[in-house]
Amino acid sequence: MIELKHVSKLYTNGVEALLDINLHIGKEEFVFIVGPSGAGKTTLMKMLYREEVPSSGQVIVDRVNVTELTPDQVPYLRRNIGVVFQDYKLLPRRTVYENVAFALQVTGAARSQIRRHTMQALELVGMLKRASSFPEELSGGEKQRVCIARAIVNNPPLLLADEPTGNLDPQTTFEIMELLDKINRRSTTLITATHNKNIVDMMKRRVVQLEAGRVIRDQQLGTYSSS
Amino acid sequence: MSVLSNLEFFVVEALRSIRRSGLMSIVAIGIVIISLTIFGMFLLFMANLGNIVAFMGSRLDIVAYVDKDLTADAAQVLQTSISQIGGVDTVVYVPKEEAWKNFREEFGAKLDLREVMDENPLPNSFSIKVTSPDVLPKVAESVANFADVSEVRYSGKLIKQIQTMVDAVRLGGLLLSVLLFFATLLIVVNTIRLTVLARETDIYIMRLVGATKSFIRWPFVIEGVLMGIMGGAFGIMILKFSYESVLARIKDALPFLPVVSDPNVLTLIYLSVGITGVLLGMLGGYISVSRILKEKG
Ligand SMILES: Nc1ncnc2c1ncn2[C@@H]1O[C@H](COP(=O)(O)OP(=O)(O)O)[C@@H](O)[C@H]1O
Ligand SMILES: [Mg+2]
Repeated sequence: MIELKHVSKLYTNGVEALLDINLHIGKEEFVFIVGPSGAGKTTLMKMLYREEVPSSGQVIVDRVNVTELTPDQVPYLRRNIGVVFQDYKLLPRRTVYENVAFALQVTGAARSQIRRHTMQALELVGMLKRASSFPEELSGGEKQRVCIARAIVNNPPLLLADEPTGNLDPQTTFEIMELLDKINRRSTTLITATHNKNIVDMMKRRVVQLEAGRVIRDQQLGTYSSS
Repeated sequence: MSVLSNLEFFVVEALRSIRRSGLMSIVAIGIVIISLTIFGMFLLFMANLGNIVAFMGSRLDIVAYVDKDLTADAAQVLQTSISQIGGVDTVVYVPKEEAWKNFREEFGAKLDLREVMDENPLPNSFSIKVTSPDVLPKVAESVANFADVSEVRYSGKLIKQIQTMVDAVRLGGLLLSVLLFFATLLIVVNTIRLTVLARETDIYIMRLVGATKSFIRWPFVIEGVLMGIMGGAFGIMILKFSYESVLARIKDALPFLPVVSDPNVLTLIYLSVGITGVLLGMLGGYISVSRILKEKG
């Protein structure tokens, strides 16, 4: 599913965010990317949906060499990748339904499809009842559910979650991780960046640990820190 | 994924934007109206000027004098030869007796010519009308080449001067229109850019979920087109109303003035104003969103 070969990222301000990353992630895997703030987790995610391009090395997602895509091809890559953010990035003037439907509308989907898929996604994340609410009326956990619904509404094979529980209390964090786990079981490859020790230790999945832009540990059924 | 199937989405988004930018949109549409009205006025002015010049040109004729007496046959032959010159519309032979009679009828009341002279001092002449003022000099030259023609007169200098002036006015108006177009474009671009900035997150999300650049552009282009249509519609209304009232007044006061009132010509002018408005808006919308789409990927 995902292949990173000797990927390095040097930002224009001279920061070396990633250094010679080699990584293979198979279909339907559930991978935690852990590491302290500034380790390069977000940068690594951005390589996958081509928000950033590597300074050197190759990034392959779903057999597509992301590094070689022309700007015109990037939208089609992104339709196959859902992204979930710590700060949700919901559009404030649109309802829950509109926020989720928006992701389908802007890809030019047919109207009947939009309605059906939006309802299904809201149902899946348990937000169907709040479809006509505005984001400001929602709790943090509910906002994150909407953000997840938007990310999966067109059934992407890959879901990226960058610190999805960073702003949530422990109980809500647990619920969101359960939801992400459920989505992963529906055959979606899931990569979650986090520095929440509890959830990593609890879920016992593959852990890739970054430090100063390098992979220092890659462990199946891992915990947050090496023991 | 045709434009048409997404049209509803684009138009809804565009209207959302216009409403959100409220006052600024109204100001911009107002400026579009003013610019288009000025542009339309210029077009109407040029059309009328062209009409007047053509009218004056058609009234101008060449007079070819023939000093010696001509027999009717000779006059007939000469008349036919002149009428065969390219650019000649009509040729009328004016025998000196007729010229004298005309002259006396026109001025006889004001001065008693018999006191001054009894003899007819006028020569025979041909009055030649041409198809367009441009050919005056050429025709005059050809006519002068006939052996029997002693002198050729026409007011070519005047028509040339008028033509030069009209060309200058046209060029000036054209430059003004281009200037006006870009000044208005700038205002439209900046107005729509306000919505672009207000919708930075929307655009970010659109790109994130895989909207193509052209898809992201459409609502802004349509926003511009809507502004252009509104500006054009009001501009045309103002033009039509004010031109018609000016027309009515001119027909009263200066009935001989050949004003443009052909509905086809007027429709063409109003249509140009409307199309310019739509183009202006389209271009404005396109440019306004270009910078934000230019970033990587
Ligand atoms: N757009 C950017 N321009 C310059 N430097 C950046 C940019 N984004 C991140 N960085 C730097 O790259 C390093 C890694 O950042 P990031 O990938 O956000 O780490 P993490 O997500 O693990 O906190 C940090 O030192 C950060 O300051
Ligand atoms: Mg980060």
